[in-house]
Amino acid sequence: MIWIDGVLVSRGEGGVYGERMMRGHRVWDPYRSKLAAYYYLGGEVSLESRMRVLYLGAAHGTTVSHVADSTEVVYAVENAYAPMRDLLAVASRRKNIIPLFADAAQPSSYAPIVEEVDLLFQDVAHPDQASIALMNLPFLRRGGVALIVVKARSIDVTKKPADVVHEVSHKLAESGLYPRRVIWLEPYHRDHAILECPRD
Amino acid sequence: MIPGKPRSLSMPSYWFGDVTGGKCTPAGSHDPEYLSFRLDGIRTEMESFCPPAWEAARDSGFVSSRGEYIRVLREVCIYRAEKALALVAARPEQELIQMVHMRDQLDEVINLVTGRALEWHAARSPEFSRKFRTLKGKRALEALVAGGSPRVRGIATGMMHLSEVKADLTREIEQMAGEVIPNCTGLVGGVVAARLLAAAGGLEALARLPAGTIQVLGARTALFAHIRSGSAPPKHGIIYQYRKVHGAKKGRRGKVSRTLAAKIALAARIDYFRGERDEEFLDTARAAVKRAAGESGS
Repeated sequence: MIWIDGVLVSRGEGGVYGERMMRGHRVWDPYRSKLAAYYYLGGEVSLESRMRVLYLGAAHGTTVSHVADSTEVVYAVENAYAPMRDLLAVASRRKNIIPLFADAAQPSSYAPIVEEVDLLFQDVAHPDQASIALMNLPFLRRGGVALIVVKARSIDVTKKPADVVHEVSHKLAESGLYPRRVIWLEPYHRDHAILECPRD
Repeated sequence: MIPGKPRSLSMPSYWFGDVTGGKCTPAGSHDPEYLSFRLDGIRTEMESFCPPAWEAARDSGFVSSRGEYIRVLREVCIYRAEKALALVAARPEQELIQMVHMRDQLDEVINLVTGRALEWHAARSPEFSRKFRTLKGKRALEALVAGGSPRVRGIATGMMHLSEVKADLTREIEQMAGEVIPNCTGLVGGVVAARLLAAAGGLEALARLPAGTIQVLGARTALFAHIRSGSAPPKHGIIYQYRKVHGAKKGRRGKVSRTLAAKIALAARIDYFRGERDEEFLDTARAAVKRAAGESGS
């Protein structure tokens, strides 16, 4: 990860979504990106230039563009129309983004395409986030890590966020994916946590 | 160039070729259209799935380097995504959704700017009494064009022009909704029908919604407040805007919106599966809504 005076940046062509530049680097805002918030809050799973990444819930491609700056290739899955249009525009300027217009809950649709990856990043709004991670586990190499954003509010608004995270962790652990660390994204994102789950 | 028959399940097929007994038979071309068509025919069982290895593509001679592998794959995926997006965009209801969003946003902008212009005008000319400040819509704009300062007059003229655009757009929505969702439109009018369509996200989505959900579409805040803190559940969302609902007696509104939602659910399914206006259905549906409102339905 590249830090300049305590500010997280990535090295790449700017002007993707109006991000600020700092000494030729793109500022990666923790208030806009949950992954950036994770690094600000001491997340230790760094991006490396040889890494292959499967990114579920790529949305408009803002975070994806930063991930692509720091890794070898990003398989970016998104299934909504409007975000996908933006993602394609981002992918047109970055040669290492593979855009996939698909549902992360239907991994067989992109199975013939996505190779074994070192990092699985998941940021989807879905009531069953644990199942989606488990379905996509075959893409993650042994020894790789899954970073799973738990949006407590999109799972169940009636439950306390901490309980929701506990439930998701439990479900993952039952299937052998043990979260070794939970990082709450306060103060950058409310009621969101990232689970750090290494695959044995 | 036609790719082979659908590959059997025991033989893993990847975008670049088929692997049998550790040997890869590469696909015949790098052409995105060809490779995309090939991908359409591949079925993968996730239980026995093993991700593709780019080395297999290289060893089979499909590509010569990692760089080429990524380049060709990226071209195929962009081609596929663009094709899929074009398909979505080709559905006429998507334009209708954009149109109704635009109409509602124009409405908001006109009200906001007019309200601000009235405030400004009142600050300049104290004789512009409180009574005038409660002026709304077209009459407010006319008053400003007649009596405002040059700048205020310019703004009011702009808003009047925007109001005309909104009126034209509303007519276009009514017309298009009558073609794309004729039965929903027949029940609640084009604008309300288009808003329901927009809230559902598309015609297929609307057709698959249960009536109970249609009834509270657009009442998300109230619905979640109900779930969270047990306040009274919302009786209606977007469909409240339909005159038979907001015009009904207070004690009847819940009943009317429930009945209406049930009929819209049916109408959406006729629109999606048949796509034609069904007068007989519309007559019985309207009669049911009338009965619910306490009017004598036939």
